[in-house]
Amino acid sequence: MSEEEKPRKSRFKRVKTTDDRESRSDDAANPYLSHLNGNGSSNGDSYTGGDLSKWKRHTSTAKMAKIAEDGPTNAFTGKPLSDRYFGILKTRRDLPVSAQRQEFLDMYHKTQILVFVGETGSGKTTQIPQYVLYDDLPHMQGQMVACTQPRRVAAMSVAQRVAQELDVTLGEEVGYSIRFEDMTSQKTCLKYMTDGMLLREAMNDHDLKRYSTIILDEAHERTLATDILMGLLKEVVKRRPDLKLIIMSATLDAQKFQKYFHDAPLLAVPGRTHPVEIFYTPEPERDYVEAALRTVLQIHATEAEGDILLFLTGEEEIEDAVRKISMESDEMVREADAGPLKCYPLYGSLPPAQQQKIFEPAPPPYRPGGKPGRKCIVSTNIAETSLTIDGIVYVVDPGFSKQKVYNPRIRVESLLVSPISKASAQQRAGRAGRTRPGKCFRLYTEGAFKKELIDQSYPEILRSNLASTVLELKKLGVDDLVHFDLMDPPAPETLMRALEELNYLACLDDEGELTHLGKLASDFPLDPALAVMLISSPEFYCSNEILSLTALLSVPQVFVRPAAARKRADEMKNLFAHEDGDHLTMLNVYHAFKSPAAQENPKQWTHDHFLSYRALQQADNVRLQLKRIMEREEIELVSTPFNDKNYYTNIRRALVAGFFMQVAKKDTSGKTYVTVKDNQSVLLHPSTVLGQDSEWVVYNEFVLTSKNYIRTVTAVKPEWLLEIAPNYYNIEEFSKGEVKTALTRTVQKMNRRSEMNGR
Amino acid sequence: MAADEDEDDYLSMSFEDPKPAKETSIQRAARLKKERAERGIIPSKAERKQAAEEAREKALATEIDSSNKGAQMLAKMGFKGGALGKTEGARTRPIEIQMKQDRGGLGMENDKKRKIREAADAANANEKRIKLTEEEYRHSKALEREEKRKEGEMWGAMRILEDFETNDATGSDEVGAKGDGTTKSTMPPLRSINVLYRPLVKQRLKEYQERRRMKQNMARRGIGVRDDYSSEDDQLASGTEVEDDLDEEDTELDEFLALPVGERLEKILSFLRETYHYCFWCKYRYPDDKMDGCPGLTDDEHG
Repeated sequence: MSEEEKPRKSRFKRVKTTDDRESRSDDAANPYLSHLNGNGSSNGDSYTGGDLSKWKRHTSTAKMAKIAEDGPTNAFTGKPLSDRYFGILKTRRDLPVSAQRQEFLDMYHKTQILVFVGETGSGKTTQIPQYVLYDDLPHMQGQMVACTQPRRVAAMSVAQRVAQELDVTLGEEVGYSIRFEDMTSQKTCLKYMTDGMLLREAMNDHDLKRYSTIILDEAHERTLATDILMGLLKEVVKRRPDLKLIIMSATLDAQKFQKYFHDAPLLAVPGRTHPVEIFYTPEPERDYVEAALRTVLQIHATEAEGDILLFLTGEEEIEDAVRKISMESDEMVREADAGPLKCYPLYGSLPPAQQQKIFEPAPPPYRPGGKPGRKCIVSTNIAETSLTIDGIVYVVDPGFSKQKVYNPRIRVESLLVSPISKASAQQRAGRAGRTRPGKCFRLYTEGAFKKELIDQSYPEILRSNLASTVLELKKLGVDDLVHFDLMDPPAPETLMRALEELNYLACLDDEGELTHLGKLASDFPLDPALAVMLISSPEFYCSNEILSLTALLSVPQVFVRPAAARKRADEMKNLFAHEDGDHLTMLNVYHAFKSPAAQENPKQWTHDHFLSYRALQQADNVRLQLKRIMEREEIELVSTPFNDKNYYTNIRRALVAGFFMQVAKKDTSGKTYVTVKDNQSVLLHPSTVLGQDSEWVVYNEFVLTSKNYIRTVTAVKPEWLLEIAPNYYNIEEFSKGEVKTALTRTVQKMNRRSEMNGR
Repeated sequence: MAADEDEDDYLSMSFEDPKPAKETSIQRAARLKKERAERGIIPSKAERKQAAEEAREKALATEIDSSNKGAQMLAKMGFKGGALGKTEGARTRPIEIQMKQDRGGLGMENDKKRKIREAADAANANEKRIKLTEEEYRHSKALEREEKRKEGEMWGAMRILEDFETNDATGSDEVGAKGDGTTKSTMPPLRSINVLYRPLVKQRLKEYQERRRMKQNMARRGIGVRDDYSSEDDQLASGTEVEDDLDEEDTELDEFLALPVGERLEKILSFLRETYHYCFWCKYRYPDDKMDGCPGLTDDEHG
């Protein structure tokens, strides 16, 4: 090691002297270098090529970086580098991006905006930010490099990995920031964060001045936040010529990004992929699930060693398929001497421990020299981009996925099985070629691929309710919503509906300007309805309870209902049930969870009561974060005494303050409900604890699946609707029908009562 | 007097109460249905489901209009219709919701829909034909007949051409290649055949192949006598280029087939005249290129 060092050291010194004078002045002037030089202990006699303080920004080369990385001291902390670091360094240098480091730097120096395309496995997410770090030297400016990720988990795990690669403690030089969790410090110079977090930061700092380079990773996923960020940054780069922007995408449709960013230059790095042979069916399939099962079993019977990845659409379908494949393959083992086949489900709501199982190696043959075993993973489209499973050689793609689409006309979020896009299909196929050449079986005809699939999946911005986005944009200082330059502008009607909702919530005035309430609401990382409910909760003397409830509504489902123990789980849920609805039931759960008895051993307690420990813990954390914001905004935290008869009524009334637009009334048949205003027929989700005799209910979500369900519902009174949201419940604006009749009757009743009271 | 009073009454009646007369029978049925519903007669599950679906479809098809508060706000912000943003071709309407009700594979639904649409189109076309005037109808029928006749003549001309071509090539007068698949093993590749009668050969090959397939299928099920066909199978097993030929893309042929029947016929006839001095209409092969005695290329010229 030390022998190798010498020539490198001298080579580097030549470079260093050229910038000597300038750097030194930088050095002295910059207070942010204190952790590098000021302590004295860190530089000392181990002064090597790793002293970045002598470098000039945006002039470094791959060679210089290599020397700095070779140590022996850490260029960022000054501490000696660990053995693990050098181990990782070796593998890092084998990554496909590594070969193009110089090319990347050359382009990065020349341009303000750069589009970078690297297929999965190229190493772009971990390496490019580091390459930037060594060249951009943000810590010299007191700035940071930001790298956004669409998913929380990715932001956390990548930050952790990169902290290891740089041999620093996570949360110090390398950190992450996700909603409700900030793992950064004064020292942080490379920050992984969710795209949503960067957007939040932009609200308070329109120019994002604390960043010297912003990397938008996984831009091809086109999340809502990434799309908004692109629109914003397109403007910011004009105001801040010193800011560099890198758009990273995993797919080859990068021209769209280039075009959007004024023909920004493109750098593409090949991934580590093998060819994948694609097979189509000659005729459309009658039943795609059955065809998928058949194909999996056929692969198992006839194809060479290698694991299988089958894409299906949802939890139920997947669990069912796993069961059937396991049964059939057992039979194949008995009757046809097939090798062992282990089948795993994979979907978002699966507990992490079970998700981990997919990484277990394929089972060994039953006897030495016997037919090799294989594993089969049946997954939703989370295995398409978010998760990489090595060893997959065969992909079975029926061409469907469940997609969330918001429709502004009936204000419903639909979660329906729909055809995927061509890009998705390519991505799925690519999953077969991670370790060696693979095969992809598409359960549709080539003609259907060409004609029926759209080119690109719809970006989230076209599929979402934009109420919170509009609030955010307003807070971000975007005044002209009509001409805001988005890559894919949403349908005007979606924006109309968002404006309308925000107007009814009193977050925007009639001119579309932020109101005081709107400004306050945008301070909370919540949906506007939730934020408004929280902000107005002191008026109903229950802000503590609404705070808990808001937290509970912001995390995954707290109730666990395993297929094997449904009855038991339902019994446990009934222990917490409140007859007036699910919101109150959730609140009961939370209060019980916080009781000393439960907190003695919360894990065991939640397990015994069929509750998700993770979700409740997360809710606890979210509550704490929200509480801080409330305290900062001086929103009172109050409660009605528990034994007051109005304890629950107050909470229900506070619910109305936020969710008055999500109300349904039982229809005359008494079997179904209709949503007010849109008159859509809906059913209570079977999971509800609410008795069927509630005339009016508020609901947390209305999702259109095969049936129209409203989920998480609580009974309310029509008087409250008229009292708390008179603008929305302006009877004259209702179209003729049951709802109008019932409301009119309520008004008459209220009038009579007030007359009586008046006399 | 009495008559006058009656008249007055009659007149006043018609002015006083015009409303009941306005209700049509359909409206009445609808009103009664509604009243019944309001009295608490519960519709069946299927009825409810259908009503819910109809309500949804109707609401989904109804655009948010200018009476909407949000629309008014957007208009105040300078929205003048069309799309938002600066990107060309941006959306003007929301993504449609499509309910998938079954497990039909990708393409299945559209396969079905296509068939339905085609049937509907055919029905429409029929209807249109009926709407044509008698004159137009007769004209279009005449055209159709003409087309059919030309097509028949074209196939005939092809057969003659094939005879000439194969005779000249083999030098013998009698060639039994026509219509009998068994001798086809000596056939030249499809592509080398003159495009003017290639459709004929291709069609024949297809028929032959179909027949062979059927025989094989029967043989596999134990029907028929295998011996009769084994030689054929062997031949074809060793010379599968026939099948490949059939499936291969043939742009030359496609181009030819894309021409209208009349043009195709004319091409074949001119070729016959130039190469073989044969007139299709005279049914005679002239000794030289002068073709003395033949009135000309077209049928009309032959009277």
